[in-house]
Parts: sequence; structure tokens; C-alpha cells
Amino acid sequence: MFFKKYRDKEEGVIRSFDMGSPGVKVAAAVIFIICVVMVIIAIFPSVWVFLASFKDIKEFRRNPTIFPSTFDIAKFIKTWNDLDFFQYYINSMISVTGSVICAIFFNGLMAYGLGILKPKGHKIVFAMVLWSLLIPATTSLVALFVNINRIGLNGSFVPLWLAMGANAFYVVLFKQFFEQLPKSLIEAATLDGCGNLQTFTRVVLPLSRPIMMVVAIFALNAAWSDFLLPFLLLANTPKETVMVRLFAFRTSNATDVEVLRAIAFSILPPIILFAVFQKQIMQNVVSAGIKG
Amino acid sequence: MRGKKSPWNQAVLKRNISGWLILLPGLILFSFFVWEPLLESVRLSLYTARGVQLQEFVGLQNYIDVFKHPDFAPAVINTFKYTFWSLVIGFLMPIGMAALITETVHLKGTFRLGVYFPNIMPGLAMVLMWGYFFTPGKTGVLNILLNLVGISPQVWLTNPNMTIPLIIVILTWKSAGATALIYMASMGNISPQLYEAAAIDGARLWSRFRHITIPGIMGTIKMLLILQIIAVFQILYEPLVLTNGGPNNASISIMQVVYRYAFQNFNYPMAAAVSVMICAVLVLLTVLYFRVTRETD
Repeated sequence: MFFKKYRDKEEGVIRSFDMGSPGVKVAAAVIFIICVVMVIIAIFPSVWVFLASFKDIKEFRRNPTIFPSTFDIAKFIKTWNDLDFFQYYINSMISVTGSVICAIFFNGLMAYGLGILKPKGHKIVFAMVLWSLLIPATTSLVALFVNINRIGLNGSFVPLWLAMGANAFYVVLFKQFFEQLPKSLIEAATLDGCGNLQTFTRVVLPLSRPIMMVVAIFALNAAWSDFLLPFLLLANTPKETVMVRLFAFRTSNATDVEVLRAIAFSILPPIILFAVFQKQIMQNVVSAGIKG
Repeated sequence: MRGKKSPWNQAVLKRNISGWLILLPGLILFSFFVWEPLLESVRLSLYTARGVQLQEFVGLQNYIDVFKHPDFAPAVINTFKYTFWSLVIGFLMPIGMAALITETVHLKGTFRLGVYFPNIMPGLAMVLMWGYFFTPGKTGVLNILLNLVGISPQVWLTNPNMTIPLIIVILTWKSAGATALIYMASMGNISPQLYEAAAIDGARLWSRFRHITIPGIMGTIKMLLILQIIAVFQILYEPLVLTNGGPNNASISIMQVVYRYAFQNFNYPMAAAVSVMICAVLVLLTVLYFRVTRETD
């Protein structure tokens, strides 16, 4: 039963004809068990956050156990209200929504210019975009922060939104997709008298739903998780996002279990996103991973 | 095209102009968020400033002052320690994980999903969470788990010799799965006939792995090695949140020096000077690396 399925094995070192040997069978079983352990190690910490959040502070400090004694959802609701998490969720949503729109529109537009219109000199621009993938991003953070301050955009969501509109990785994703679109459709739109911008919004984008989804998912997760720039621009303003608030707990008088519940609130949206869009995410992780 | 008369040229010109108009918003954003800050870092590092206003040109004085700062030497040494440990702990792990998952036929999709899962978690939340795992005393999560197998509680991050390796463990926990999936894709591209031919020649499992799989993913290994070094050089969240660089500067990273200069002392020129040095080292390293690996091919 367990070993039967190895007959159809298509890749890797162990081939179907090896399964006759008992040693290989043991190896295959051991590998399977190790993989199960790996997944447990990968998932356990996040599960623990939710388990431990059900403890109250006395139980958390005194009882060296993994499981809480009771599962009482009211504790979560109380912390949610005490820490005013609704406000931070709203702020994060504003930041995320603008970021996703900018990520799709501006990077898509850039890719449309580079991949379809190709004006003279587009290769230089694309080379510069690719170069920015290799240059360490955090090293220009200080100068970027100074620039944003100079034009008076600190304390605003606008720089966070627009920053997502300059993402080399998303440009590359869009460009690869656009280059496979049927040229005739775009030419037809031009013949109908559509300007370039109209062609983009009315023809190219509607044809590009799959890749828009992918960029939207990645941008959503990136914007939700982003910490450093939001912290520098929004800390101590009424616009603090969930991550900025989370960092402040480090030095606040919130109890350990309250901080744990805050962590639980902050990881819940990515978990839901992952659960819903796992197919789209898993299809694109390879290209995403090389960038990150 | 050049020989044709003006109507053609005008049409071409018009097409080029409208094409550039489409590129314009992206060009502005890339300039503001990516390209200009690099140049601005260099300019900033050559001046003194009050707040964000430049004061006077001081040449390389900021760079000289950075070297004299008591945090600088430990940060540089630590950055090499981080890199060393990330190669020891973090580099082989994803290759091993990819090799193992490739050899499974049951639940393969679940394994892929599972190991990728930590990567979608917000970095800051995960670092805070690991703080609870490494809590010294009997209620720290890892100590609870150790207690189950009868090992006495450890002090974890407060032991200066353990701080950097443990931070690398956290980093590896978060990123190894995503890296493993890249290796898996690369391993999936190796032709099964190669393995079958080797098997006919009598090659055992390990020697098939050693002589077919490893050469097959060598290109990916080379690429990911340099990407990992670049990433670890810029480590910031983990030491910032978990140890704040301590105990006694044992885990301070070079990016944390930038952070302290810029956002605790508000000395942007000094922060920029350190940034420029990090960037220069990484660009140099990358260029050298590609030159060396190309020669050995």
C-alpha cells in the first residue's frame, strides 16, 4: 500500500525499480517521516501562538504546558477591545489597499511600456529595473526616509502606497505575461482609436486577470507584513499599522499574553490569505523566492 | 526606416513619445524610491546635516568617524559571524529538505505547502514569537519541550556565544522552506533517464545524488548562495527585536548600526556613510563572485 505508489514516481534519486530492496523501502519510509517532522516544525510555532493566547497571564507564567486549560474566545475579544486593534486593522487595510492598487497599476503600466510598446531605449530602462533587483534595498532606506521628509510626506500613507508601485519583481512578472498576450487584440484596440492608456486599462488589464491576482496576493502580504518604512513614517501618529503597533508592544506595559494575542491578530490575515489562495501562491513561489 | 520621408518618421516619433509617456509614471516612482536614494546616500554621507537639511561638505570625515565608533568593529565582526553561521546552518538545510521532499510520493503537496508556510508570516510577528520560544526559565516554550525529554532549562539568547547561531536558526526556520521549493523545481528539471542510466551502471542512491542531483542543481546553488549572503549581511529585525544587539553588543549587526545612527541619534549622514559602505561591499562581492564562478565553469 504505502510502497505501491512509488511505482509512478517520476523524479528524484529513488526509482520505482529500487523498491524491491528492503533497504530502499526503509529509506523511503524514513524520508516520509522526516518530511512530516519538518512540516510540524514549520507549523507548530504559529499554532502555539493561538494555543498560548488562550491562557491567562497567571497560567502563562506558572504552568509549563503547551496546551491551555480552557479555550475561551472571550479573552481574545477582550484584548482586541483593550488594545484597540480595530483601529490598527483599519489602518493596515488602508495601507494594504492603496499598496495593492499601486502595485498593479504602476508596475503593470511600466511592464506594458517595456513589454508591448517598446519605445526606443526601453532596453536601458529594463536593464536598470533588473539591476535594482540585485542592489540591497535596505541600504538606501535612510536616504529614502530623508527624501520623504523633505517633501513633507511623513505621517502619510501615500509614500507606502507609491513605494509598492516601484517593484522590479512585479514589473518582471507583468512583462513576462504581457509578452504572451495575442498581439492582434492589442492592435485591434489601437485601430479602434484607443490611446495607449485606454488600451492598457480596457484591453491589456482585463486580459491579465491571472497575473493581476498573483501580484495582488504578493503585494497584499508584503504590505501587511511591511514594518520598517511604516514604522519610520507612521509611528506615534493615529495612522499606526498593525506591525508598527506590534513593535511598540516590545516596550509597553502590555502583559505577555496580550502581546501573544496581538501576534495572533497580526498573523491571522496572512494565514487566511494563504489558505484561500494557496494554489496561486504555490505556482509562483519559485519566481518569488529568487527575488526575496 | 531611416530613408523614408517625414510622415513615417513623425509616426515613429509619435509612437516613441507616447510609449515614453506610458513609462513616465513608473520612471518617476523608480527614480524616487529606488535609484535616486542610492545616489542621495552617497551625497548625504559627504555632508553634515541638521535634521534632514544638509549643512556643509566634509568629504570623507563621516566615514572616518564611523570607524571610530565603538559599535562599528563588533558590528562588522558579527556580520561575518552571521554570514558564517548562515552558511553552516542555513545553506545546506534547504538543499536537504528539497532532496527529501523530492523523494516522497505521498502528501507531497502538503509537504510543499507546509515548509513554505513560515515564509508568508510577517517577519516582525515571527521574531516576537520566537522571543517566547527562547524565554529562559521553565515557561519558555523550548524549555517546556526540553523538559518533556528530561533536559534542564537553557538560557538561550542571553548566552553571548549562542545568540548569533540561534538568530540564524530563526532566520533559517523562516526562509528554508521557500528556498527548498526553488531547489525542488531545479531538481524536478533533471532528466529521470540520467538516474536510470546510473542505476543500470550500479550506482547506489547516495552516489546518484552526489553525481547527478548535485551537478544538476549547481547553477541554482551558486545563485542562491550569493543571494543568501546578501540577505544575511542586511539582517536587522531579528537582533533589533530579540536582543537589541546584546548581550553587550554580542549580536549587533551592521544594519543595526545604520538604524541607531539614523533613527535613534538622527544623524543621517553617518547612517548614510555606513549604508554606502555596506552597499559597496555587497556590490563588489557580487561582481567578484560572478567573475570567480564563471571562471570555474
